[in-house]
Amino acid sequence: MDTVQHPSATWEAVSNGIVFYRRQQLYTLPGKLPNIADYLIAGCKNGGPIALMRDTSKLVALGRGGPAFSKSQIQVYSPAGEGLLLFSWDQGRIVRFGWTFDERLVVLNEEGVYRLYDLQGDYQQFSLGNEAAELGIIDARIHENGLVALTGSLTLLEVKDWEGGRPLAFANPGISEPPHSWAVIPPDQSISRHVEVLLSVDATILTVDNLESTDQRVARGPFVHVSPSPNGKFLALLTFSGLLWVVSSDFQRELVVLDTATVGAEGPVNQVEWCGNDAVLVTWNDLASLILPSRDNLAGETLRYLYFGTTFVVTEADGARVIGQDVCDFIQKVPASSVSIFRPGSTSSSAILFAAWESFVQRSPKADESIRSIRSDLAAAVNECIDAAGHEWDPHWQRKLLSAAKFGWGFLDLYNPTDFIAMGQALKVLNAVRFYEIGIPLTYSEYQYVSPAHLINRLTSRNLHLLAIRVSSFLSLKPDIVLKHWASVKIARSKSSAVDGEDDEVCRLIVDKFEKLGGGEVSYADIARRAWEVGRTGLATKLLDHETRASDQVPLLLTMKEDKLALVKAVDSGDTDLVYHVLLHLHKRLPLGSFFKLIEDGGDQLAPASKLLQVYAREQNREMLRDFYYSDDRRVESATLALDEAAQMTDPHAMMTAVNAAEKFFSEDKDRPFEAKMMNESVRLLALQQQYEKDSDGKVKFFGQSVSETIRTCISNGMSKKADRVKSEFKVPDKRFWYLKLHALTAMRDFEALDAFARSRRSPIGYEAFVRHLVEAGHLKEAASYVVRCDSPKRVGLYVLCEDWRAAGRECKERGDKKGIEQLRKSCPNSLIARELEQLMASMK
Amino acid sequence: MAAASASASDAQTSYGIERDNEPRLDVELLKDTARKALIDTLNAVNGVKTLVLDPTLAGPLGLVTEVALLKHHGVDKMFWLEPGPLTSTTTNVVYLCRPLIKYVKIIADQVKAHIRESQKHRYTLFLVPRVSTLVSRILEEEGILGDITISSYNLQFIPIADDVISLENDNAFKELWVDGDETVIYNSALALNSLQKVYGRFPRILGKGDYASRLATLLTKSLPDQPSPCLIDEFIGLKNSHVELPVSLLTLPAAPNPSNPNATPSGSASVTPLINEKTKKHHLSTTTDPLLTELRDLNFSSVGKRLSRVAHRLDEDYKARLQAKTVAQLRDFVGKLGGLQGEHQALRLHTGLSEMLSLKTRTELFNKSLEVQQNLLASYEVSAQISAIEDMIAQGASMQAVVRLLCLASITNGGIKAKSLDSVKRELLQAYGYNYLPLLLSLAAPPLAILLPNPLPISAAPTVAGNKYPFIALRKSLRLLIDDNPEALEEVENDISYTYSGYAPISIRLVQCVAQKSGVISNPAEKSSADDGDGKGKGSSARKLHAHPIVGWKGFEDVLGTIPGKTFDIAHKVPASTNSTASSVASLMRPHEQTTTTAVFFLGGCTYTEIAALRWVSRQNKGRKFLIVTTGIVSGNSLIDSIANTGKNLSATKDANTPSV
Repeated sequence: MDTVQHPSATWEAVSNGIVFYRRQQLYTLPGKLPNIADYLIAGCKNGGPIALMRDTSKLVALGRGGPAFSKSQIQVYSPAGEGLLLFSWDQGRIVRFGWTFDERLVVLNEEGVYRLYDLQGDYQQFSLGNEAAELGIIDARIHENGLVALTGSLTLLEVKDWEGGRPLAFANPGISEPPHSWAVIPPDQSISRHVEVLLSVDATILTVDNLESTDQRVARGPFVHVSPSPNGKFLALLTFSGLLWVVSSDFQRELVVLDTATVGAEGPVNQVEWCGNDAVLVTWNDLASLILPSRDNLAGETLRYLYFGTTFVVTEADGARVIGQDVCDFIQKVPASSVSIFRPGSTSSSAILFAAWESFVQRSPKADESIRSIRSDLAAAVNECIDAAGHEWDPHWQRKLLSAAKFGWGFLDLYNPTDFIAMGQALKVLNAVRFYEIGIPLTYSEYQYVSPAHLINRLTSRNLHLLAIRVSSFLSLKPDIVLKHWASVKIARSKSSAVDGEDDEVCRLIVDKFEKLGGGEVSYADIARRAWEVGRTGLATKLLDHETRASDQVPLLLTMKEDKLALVKAVDSGDTDLVYHVLLHLHKRLPLGSFFKLIEDGGDQLAPASKLLQVYAREQNREMLRDFYYSDDRRVESATLALDEAAQMTDPHAMMTAVNAAEKFFSEDKDRPFEAKMMNESVRLLALQQQYEKDSDGKVKFFGQSVSETIRTCISNGMSKKADRVKSEFKVPDKRFWYLKLHALTAMRDFEALDAFARSRRSPIGYEAFVRHLVEAGHLKEAASYVVRCDSPKRVGLYVLCEDWRAAGRECKERGDKKGIEQLRKSCPNSLIARELEQLMASMK
Repeated sequence: MAAASASASDAQTSYGIERDNEPRLDVELLKDTARKALIDTLNAVNGVKTLVLDPTLAGPLGLVTEVALLKHHGVDKMFWLEPGPLTSTTTNVVYLCRPLIKYVKIIADQVKAHIRESQKHRYTLFLVPRVSTLVSRILEEEGILGDITISSYNLQFIPIADDVISLENDNAFKELWVDGDETVIYNSALALNSLQKVYGRFPRILGKGDYASRLATLLTKSLPDQPSPCLIDEFIGLKNSHVELPVSLLTLPAAPNPSNPNATPSGSASVTPLINEKTKKHHLSTTTDPLLTELRDLNFSSVGKRLSRVAHRLDEDYKARLQAKTVAQLRDFVGKLGGLQGEHQALRLHTGLSEMLSLKTRTELFNKSLEVQQNLLASYEVSAQISAIEDMIAQGASMQAVVRLLCLASITNGGIKAKSLDSVKRELLQAYGYNYLPLLLSLAAPPLAILLPNPLPISAAPTVAGNKYPFIALRKSLRLLIDDNPEALEEVENDISYTYSGYAPISIRLVQCVAQKSGVISNPAEKSSADDGDGKGKGSSARKLHAHPIVGWKGFEDVLGTIPGKTFDIAHKVPASTNSTASSVASLMRPHEQTTTTAVFFLGGCTYTEIAALRWVSRQNKGRKFLIVTTGIVSGNSLIDSIANTGKNLSATKDANTPSV
């Protein structure tokens, strides 16, 4: 009834029918690939492309392989046989090439130079260093996240992470001739979490890492093939005599010992590769043989797959990809869920569910019966159907299995369909990328392992932007990566600005697309950087205008040496930290003169930057600030700076010099005569103070005081002559002088001198000030003596202030102020005084 | 709180009840965020650590956390970040400071000293509120960048009262207006953004001033498409601008020092030195001290009266004991006793405080400065005021007070006559030292330009001339000065000018231009008291007008135009999806129930008096609450000090007072 082949049709049973292996044909590629027997090949994991280079050690029949190549050429094909890339190599002899995790081709030559090619042919070039170049590289092993190179002196160098980092030397294995064969276990699969190298030397295997070299004391060698399994736990070794030996990687547990001659193939073994972690695939011309460990036979079990001509095997995490002349196959252990559903005669609940669904489609009542019989296991059966759908390649069977799952969950009370939906989405994506024009035969478990984002990266690196953007929107991932890649390709492809309008055109295109698809959240800075890197400065600037985040914008402008623009943008952003970033950067790079010029020319627009520079320089770099003010003729600021410095100085002489400098600056500015005069006074004062200190043998400190303080100090140290001199020299007004003297003398309690001073002439501040100040200082008695000299109407109040009630009373009496006395009597503190006041009152009558 | 303990019949406390009834923005949320961030920051460093703290951060940190919490998170010892060697017994040394160059240098010195003595420490530097290139550059220049891990502690707005949140950046004004360092604007924008994240987007931004408009641009630009969850704030008025700022700040100092004595403590953890003399440290806050709520916004002339009223009430309450006849009454009384005693204590504290203050307010110099100030505001005999200022110099008044009055004179009269200005300046320099010349220069330099000769010299920059402040015109159009009629003042407390004994701060008038238009033109209380004749029984809540919706500067464009600095009004488009539902809900609720909150942001700092005045405005209308947002609390003296760059000494004395955090 089904025209489509049943899944189990391609299965082959091993281990007494418990385990099955299947060979799934992925693509047919008749005539698409050159004769792969003549080529060195490197395959990329996770359904990636293969790279081919002519094997110069092999003879080629003239006229068959097309034109003869004088130079090395590397061709890259997708697993479906579509040519992706072709480039020629003009450097030293290539010793090895391989693939990184993100699908870049690593090509290493004998001089230790390696390049990372992306699928567009753009490359980054790095070197293993001078030493490696001198010694020469004779071989290397490349894994997904690094490489290990074997130098001419038979030492090992490791490179990690494809960032061009310095190579690390491994422990010296101490061998005298190149190993017969060797392999590396990548860091994420070794026990030590560092790269381990396995060298086949003489009869044994040396395990080398960056600390030590260990002899594993094996006697079966030497080996021509060393192949670690994908999870690093097992090794497959092949001796010269054709003995295949599969052991755990610590050489403790033997799994298979098999003489490959018994398989019945002719010629030498081409490859020993793993098929998943459970089986080893050994290939000859015309034959691939799958060898599995068996419980009861050390020779294991063998499955034979016939191919025409040479094949190439790429190990995958859950199987092996076999690329033959006409076909690309995937050999895989059948996943448990598929076995449980499709194994002939299976009675598992999922098989029954599937059968029930088929009956249901045929409107057969058996459906109900079947469902009833697995009621208790129904949930598990549904999950198994979903899982099995993921492992089927054919959309027909995927659909069937998912329908069966859906049918099954209709009988469940509660079911969370998240897994179902996720699987549906994943399959839709997987089927799309497996399409032969795209050619990424990714399995479901690999898809789970590498993440959807990685898949999108791979699509964009193939310039499949439309598919990538659809996939990412389908999976609701952010479209940034795709858009950015698209834009940078767009920039690289568009013609370099021959016409002025070109830049605008490209910029508009990119901005339109970004705003439509990215929701305005895509950063333009990266793309602008890209444009700048390819020499499109104009375009880069235009793109940067669209960047809203100044913090992204400014650093690029700086690297583009668009100094002024960078500064303007930073100022506009209002982020002072960013302004500092630019200023400090420019200060380092530009000569001081042009740095200042840049800021000064900016005018009002750059005023905030100029202000910030001053704030910074005032604290950290005064020399620069001085230069800055000087170059801009800012006299007042220069003077202020000099004063500021003066304030921090302790050495009198230096301080005077600084103030002098300030005076000079002020005098150069015609609008600042007042300030210049003041500074002149200041210097004179300092000189005078120095003089006074000398006169007093340094006992009295004057230096740095203000004029008023100087006068006060003079008075309190009994140097009234000197005080007078200061007064006349600095034209101190009488009023201030009198207050100063009053305060100073009061503080000294020198009331006689105060009295003499008060009588020296008529007080310019009046005598009320005397009274009030003395009262405030608590000298009531002395204060009272000055009341007489005050204006008569105020005297009563002042006496009260001095708490001289009697005098106040007398004052009232003299003036005949009865009411005043009455008032006094009411407010006086004790009855004694009150009585006296009453007497006074009485006497007035 | 206050109202609950006071007798409810007292008309003047009744507003307290009302205020509590209307929902208010929960600013405690910000405190919790800040505390959690601090803990995360501390936990980022493993193990026991020595904390070295920027002294200016102590106050703000004290508001969000306490010492025990720090100890709990591995802080072993704490030191101020001060010059000099640091002795630490732990391997981890954690520095917490603002990204100022002077601090970085101290840190560099300490680290280098340790290296010399070959002490091994792990250094972590937490910068508030974010990391800065400048700091890493300086550390690089000092050669120790590799030894220090730099990270950030994002301390933003801190609630210092239930309606005031602050960045607690004391130097904001100076950095902005003197140095031209716009970091504050950017940090404010960041902080306001996080505020928007918590409380929803500001639907409308109004403001005045060049720097304010810059801030608004940053605010609108940095958030191109942020979904707005719900709209709590109705709008934000970004105040404090070019010239308006100096006036509002400089005028206040005269009256405010004394007028807000009780408010001072409510802010930071440190109280004035006056209290310290008692060797007792009081952390006064409205939550613990009901009296403070009543007193903090009062003019100093009425504080005494209010205190005596409370005293009388307390006395009566105590007397109630004598009337207690039954056992039940006695029990009631004993139950109340605890509360009464608490109040008693508070009363004693405040009486003590106001006594100390009244000593200060009674001095001759204080009265003189007050007189000069009021005269200047009224432009009364200006030249006589200048010579009065000169007299004050002679009498030894404080530098800050003199400079403040000079600036006031310059602003209110558009400059001081060149000749007398020079002579006053000369007096000033002679009396206080020539080292204050830079201060005078910075005051005269644009964009501050608040100490100018009149007429301006021809050579002066055109910007200075253009930015001249039309104080006299404004005084009329904005009704800045109200006759200081003592009876009206004390009893009716009817206009915001009450807080300044007759002067209305311009900044608050501008807020009124937006939020309470009637308040600017005439006195709303007078009107309502006229209505009151027949409706006394209705109670105060019925009398209050409902706040009108925000419609921008409408009606006051002309006045605003005369004030230098940009005026702006940005209304945000509310995303269509939320719009429909939000507006329908709003239209349903608008007339009565809905209370909107209006955030008023002061860039550069605001004074306690401005806060008091704003509270007054919010009390007059129902349906609108003000959230006062500021970069820091300032006073006239602190401004002058920061410009004179005596900040260092100031902070040193402050240290002595701050309780260790």
